[in-house]
Amino acid sequence: MYFLQQILNGLSLGAVYSLIAVGFALVFNILKFSNFSQGGLITVCAYIGFMITRTFGLGLGATLALTALAGGVIALLVERVAFRRLRRKNSPLIYYFVSSITMGILLENLITIYFSSNFYAFPRFFARSTVRFGPFFMATTDLAMLGISLSSLLILMIVLYRTTFGTAIRALSMDMNAARLMGINVNFAIAGTFFLVGVFAGLGGVFLGINYTLYPQLGKLIVKGFVASVVGGLGNILGAVVGAILLGLLEVILVGVPGIGSGLSPVVVFVILLVFLIVRPQGIAGIIVKEKV
Amino acid sequence: MGYYLSVLTFTSITVVAITSIYVITGLAGLFSLGQAAFMAVGAYTSGILITRLSMPFLPAVVFGIAAGMLAAFLVGIPTLKLRRDYIALVTFGFGEAIIAILNNTANVTGGAMGLVGITPYTTTPVAVGIAVLAVVLARNFKYSRFGRQCIAVKNDEVAAASMGVNVAGIKMMAFLFGSALTALAGTLYASYTTYVEPGLFVWTLSAEWIIIVFFGGVNSLTGAVVAAVLLGTLPEILRATAEWRIAIYSVLVLLIINFRPSGIFGEYELPLWRSIARRFRRAG
Repeated sequence: MYFLQQILNGLSLGAVYSLIAVGFALVFNILKFSNFSQGGLITVCAYIGFMITRTFGLGLGATLALTALAGGVIALLVERVAFRRLRRKNSPLIYYFVSSITMGILLENLITIYFSSNFYAFPRFFARSTVRFGPFFMATTDLAMLGISLSSLLILMIVLYRTTFGTAIRALSMDMNAARLMGINVNFAIAGTFFLVGVFAGLGGVFLGINYTLYPQLGKLIVKGFVASVVGGLGNILGAVVGAILLGLLEVILVGVPGIGSGLSPVVVFVILLVFLIVRPQGIAGIIVKEKV
Repeated sequence: MGYYLSVLTFTSITVVAITSIYVITGLAGLFSLGQAAFMAVGAYTSGILITRLSMPFLPAVVFGIAAGMLAAFLVGIPTLKLRRDYIALVTFGFGEAIIAILNNTANVTGGAMGLVGITPYTTTPVAVGIAVLAVVLARNFKYSRFGRQCIAVKNDEVAAASMGVNVAGIKMMAFLFGSALTALAGTLYASYTTYVEPGLFVWTLSAEWIIIVFFGGVNSLTGAVVAAVLLGTLPEILRATAEWRIAIYSVLVLLIINFRPSGIFGEYELPLWRSIARRFRRAG
């Protein structure tokens, strides 16, 4: 009984991680680099969500929708400033790395300057704090996170596999030049992908802000997305989701283990990650990404 | 006077750290987002040995460097054979893991309160001397066979491998050498401030180092050192703008990456160094 309860909690944590991991995988899938600016984006979104609830007193749904929209717009800006010109000049990958790291630090610093290093907390969104299913209890916010994350992932899958826009994105991820020759508007498709990334950063940012308190270094939780992506297979979106859920379950279990708790769980996760990389570097999805010659 | 000496000492420690990033990122093209954690490994190893076992400075520094290299070896083994993204992602996790360990072993490391009372062995001449030594070592590494192999690997791994370069091996060598320098910077830092805490070594510090290296020019050791001195000293002098410091650097580096990707110094090295290198090559 206790075990099933923990699985339920792990799933809801993993669902939030999968929002981060998917945003990361989307960019990697197309542009083949690790987008470190996403941490900064998530931080900015968490604060925007906080400001929206505080000024307008909106509920969770409206806050999420507005934050997702704002996140999408900021992600478009990030793409325009940090990556568009590099892409046009065919710059080597290391410049994408630096550009994304710098962008992430810049966003985080702007938040630090504006809000200073104070801690803020989201207000409570639900009157009832827990929901009961037979013998199980679940925090209402956890249930909302699980539901909203899973449905947004489902919508993403439908967009990727059932729409023209999704087909364009998948074509780009295979071969950008061939896609361009087939008449796909590359700039538009990449901008659209970044908008999606921003939407996921918006959802993830608000959820992380609710789960933890708001502080400028919130973006370092992007490491959960990294671990999930490496475990799932870099650039594989479904693999990232599976990796994130596994990570959520593992963390919830580790918290219950005496001597590890929440404090040392990053260490155990890291050791497991190293061992996993030795045993199965291609990730669960099994596609190993090599640089093209 | 004491104030200027302290600025000089901190700048020297920054120069050692930046030199290590130059080796890892500038030469080998690897991005480590947890390099500050290797500094923590060096700082805490030497600090604990000095405070708990009252070890003298020199052996403590040696052990600090060895611990940093051991950690780099463990992180490098599974990641360096793979695509470059893996080292960046995994070192980020390493940084978080190290901070978690430091925070949760309070009886040895002092936990979040920090490790206090480290004997202040690092004097200004020692720091300046070691900074010069680190730069000379990195310069020699750059012009050695291994340095040239690193540059080849950075530019095109497949081409380098087809020319007979052991790609994973040379990456490991650069990562170990760089991490040894980072740990050295950590030992100097611990024995200068006499106090270290986990919050000093967060990933943003690693990212700032990378930003500074790219500011000067990723292909130029001269540029990296000048940027380290300039950007390491300026905030001390311009206290009022400290809050905006990193934001301003970030904007500058974004401009540089977009409009002059080779950095301010490009491929330029001080001519003195080049002539010395030529003499060495003729002798060898």
